[in-house]
Amino acid sequence: MAKSGVSGYAAISARVRAMSSSLLSAQDFARLSDSTDLPTLVSQLKQTPYGPYLENLKEKDFTPQKLDLAIKGRLGDSYRSVTQMAPEHARSLLKQLYRYFEIQNLKAILRGITTDPTWERVQDVLFPMGKMTVLPAQAMLESGSVGAAIELLQHTPYYETLSFAMKRYSAEQNLFPLEVALDLAYWRQLWQEAKKLPGQDGVQASKIIGSLMDVNNLMWVIRYKVYHGLSEEEIINYTLPFGYRVRDEDVRAVAAGADLSMVVGRVFPGIPDLNTLLENPRQGLPQLEVILKRRLMQQCLAAFIGNPFHIGVPIAFLILSDLEVQDLTILVEAKSSGMPAEEFRSYMLRSVEA
Amino acid sequence: MLFPREMSEIELIVPSKDLLAVTKALSGYGVFHQTDSNYPGVASGSSNTWQETAGQYSALERRIQTVMQQLDIDEGRPPSKEFEAMVDMEKLRASVEQIEAEVRGTTDELSEQRKRLEQLETIVHQLEPVQDVDIDISSLRDSRYMFSMLGQMPTANLERMETSLARVPHVFLTLRADPARPVVWLAGTKSNSDVLERAARSAYLDPLSLPSDYQGTPGNIIKSLRNTIESTQRRIKELQDALGRLGLERRDQLRDLLWQTHTSRVLSDAIVRFGQLRHTYVVTGWVPTDSLDEFSRRLRQASKEILIENLPTSRTGHNSNVPVALTQSKILRPFQMLVNTYARPRYGELDPTLLIAFLFPLLYGAMFGDIGQGLVLLIFGLLINAGKIMKSMQSLGLLIAYCGASAAIFGVLYGSVFGFEGEHFEHAFGTELHPLWTSPLHNTLPVLGVAIDLGIVILLLAYLLAIFNQIRSREYGHLLFGHTGLMGFALYLSFLGLLGMAVQALRLPIIPQIAVFISNLPLPWGVLTLIFGLGIMFSEVLINLYEGHRPVIEAHGVGGFVMYLVQAFMDLFETLISQLSNTLSFVRVGAFAVAHGGVSMAIFALAGEEMGFKFWLTILLGNLFIIGFEGLIVGIQTMRLNYYEFLGKFFTGGGMRFEPLTITPAEEEG
Repeated sequence: MAKSGVSGYAAISARVRAMSSSLLSAQDFARLSDSTDLPTLVSQLKQTPYGPYLENLKEKDFTPQKLDLAIKGRLGDSYRSVTQMAPEHARSLLKQLYRYFEIQNLKAILRGITTDPTWERVQDVLFPMGKMTVLPAQAMLESGSVGAAIELLQHTPYYETLSFAMKRYSAEQNLFPLEVALDLAYWRQLWQEAKKLPGQDGVQASKIIGSLMDVNNLMWVIRYKVYHGLSEEEIINYTLPFGYRVRDEDVRAVAAGADLSMVVGRVFPGIPDLNTLLENPRQGLPQLEVILKRRLMQQCLAAFIGNPFHIGVPIAFLILSDLEVQDLTILVEAKSSGMPAEEFRSYMLRSVEA
Repeated sequence: MLFPREMSEIELIVPSKDLLAVTKALSGYGVFHQTDSNYPGVASGSSNTWQETAGQYSALERRIQTVMQQLDIDEGRPPSKEFEAMVDMEKLRASVEQIEAEVRGTTDELSEQRKRLEQLETIVHQLEPVQDVDIDISSLRDSRYMFSMLGQMPTANLERMETSLARVPHVFLTLRADPARPVVWLAGTKSNSDVLERAARSAYLDPLSLPSDYQGTPGNIIKSLRNTIESTQRRIKELQDALGRLGLERRDQLRDLLWQTHTSRVLSDAIVRFGQLRHTYVVTGWVPTDSLDEFSRRLRQASKEILIENLPTSRTGHNSNVPVALTQSKILRPFQMLVNTYARPRYGELDPTLLIAFLFPLLYGAMFGDIGQGLVLLIFGLLINAGKIMKSMQSLGLLIAYCGASAAIFGVLYGSVFGFEGEHFEHAFGTELHPLWTSPLHNTLPVLGVAIDLGIVILLLAYLLAIFNQIRSREYGHLLFGHTGLMGFALYLSFLGLLGMAVQALRLPIIPQIAVFISNLPLPWGVLTLIFGLGIMFSEVLINLYEGHRPVIEAHGVGGFVMYLVQAFMDLFETLISQLSNTLSFVRVGAFAVAHGGVSMAIFALAGEEMGFKFWLTILLGNLFIIGFEGLIVGIQTMRLNYYEFLGKFFTGGGMRFEPLTITPAEEEG
């Protein structure tokens, strides 16, 4: 019988609480964003729980890619640690959540094959999955073609999805259909895993995973409409009909050409100056994404209040850790390119006082 | 035997002229675990030339393996110890290219034919649902007013595809509900063909691509496709036969080429990790101390001017960077395998293989005690081990045999032969069989009590071993205050005292005698449990204070100190729950012994009273069922008890595997 409630979550709940206390605070971020340059940022970061992951980096390795990779090492460890401690019945959901990074790696490998198939270059952008990956990354890259690389994925969860999309890749010579197919399959499976959980676990998982999906789904719809100029039927096929707040009718409304700010305002009430923000969607979209992610972050923090014995707390912690890494990536990029504080702060999810 | 083999750290200074001879000696003996010679003043990676050479040999090795795979040739046996150190790359390449050219034509055609066969079968699969429709396919395809598309698509996209066409008149049917690749038909007016096509494409509908020479009704096309499939299959068979013949001709040559390339690749890979000084190379690594003399002798034979420095390594303290070489013993190999599946011991840590070798068969036998069934398992295990049956399970053969022997011994204690006990035995064989100890079926509660006692002994042993390990690794903070240190041990003893008191006060029918004995000692168990419980609750603080780590309490972040207290309390709660559940977990040993007798009783009830053919057939089938099904379940339970209740208490693992440099794959311990 699946262990849930207090008996199933006593240990993991305590562990996650302990781990969440090592998430960076607002003061940490203020200090980091005040760093004058990249080496200072790195030396500041070494004073944080990210220190052990940066220890082996020499100064010549202070490139955004290498730093990003090292920082993500901690996120990978958090995922592995939390997944191992999770009750048996909830583990497949966490593993699926973690698979997001494997999908990103898979996309990076495919892009590598079509652009610059040097292992040293591609290796630097792959998320450190450790042993929790089914991708024969180097062999795929060295296979020389997208088709041959996908053939190496037989007996993995990705083969069936990619074999359908491969027909389109062959005809169009564009990775877009492959990437969309991977994304859709990933999120559908994640949603199924969340829905499979019983009781409080199911409710909490659907809430947090659904909110995460909302951000992605809404961004997809708007991007397909605004940037790619796709037709209504294509947008519907490339998006998901479920989520926590975003409903199928919202997706279809945007696909059919409804006013963006009206739909977004209905789904996420209370966003200030939404009309101005989306007046020019191409400019407003990145800022809208930041706003939605900030809301997601608030929702994850709220999961820590109240009954702690459910899967929502570990999921919330993992998402918060991921969002933290996203902020750190922005800081690293900003410091390496010498971007002024007022510019990069607007892209950060944590509000950092000037 | 109780610890991994003692290791010595080695540093060699090798003159450039002896580089190949020394590398050959290093890989030939198979006891040298190489590490990167990367420290200031020494260029790591030796030189780009060696890196390139290693890469070229590696690529060539892959090419040979591919050809061997195509010709269905295995690698064969590794060469003798006297191998050629480094074979000329160009010579090897020329031979490989010649064989590749011979194979290529046939394999290319074979792959083409296979692809074609797959396509044809896919088309048949798509057409089968409409094979009875009496319409010319081309009339659908080339219709003037109607858009029509037959094909396959991912099941997950079916619903979304319907939704995407909600505003366009259309017909969308699933002709074959294949769970992975349903066959669908989409139709609509020609005027909407753009929308329909876009929807189909974005839903990944893969349309049927019928070659133009196939015309007529679906039934006719399927018939003609099946003819083509047959001829393609014949052609594939011819090509496979041709490859088989070629494989026989080239087998020995390819195996030689593979091992020559492999050897050269291994040597160049090793050299890449040497450090290079001006006229010498620096080589570092580990060697089991008992092989050191022979190892040095061989190196001196290869190079008279070599400098060898060795540093014996202490077994105590943290030695996470020392590779762990486990003692190879054929008798203990199955238990080594069980331990390695859990984790590899760290250097200096107690290797629990011997303990598991005692405990695993003991628990298995106690749960599956029967002389006849045990002997069957013993013979079965020996046959598997000898490779006579079920070769894929050969590594488990000895384990099954040991468990069978233990089950037979417990069968004597329980007085059971193929389920025949007491009256049944006397009725069937005309003689009496008395258990040497007791029949679990007839003395259920005492057996359960003894099982818990056995568990208590095992858990106490596990705590003592954990304390022993902590003393050796000098983790004094954890030794004094850790969950598996003295504090944890004291808490467990106090907990047993309380358990014994509860058993007596509540007059429970199952009596763990050891717990009762402890509770009768004149000590205030309640107070002690509280004191040691608080010690465990604040063990992190105590460890930090003792070891001088600051801050003493990690209480920053969300919740601060209150959250720390909650976490500490949950920690204590979990420890107590674990101690109770771990102890009671051993009830299953007695419960399975009882259940074993119960299942036998059920089989006798099915067999009936009359001892005819039906009786003996039922007994035979019943015993087969018990050996196969219950034997497996008991095996899983035994593994669980060993892993979680025993090893989990004291065995950390995480040691680095000893991987000696060798041209043949290193033999895995267990």
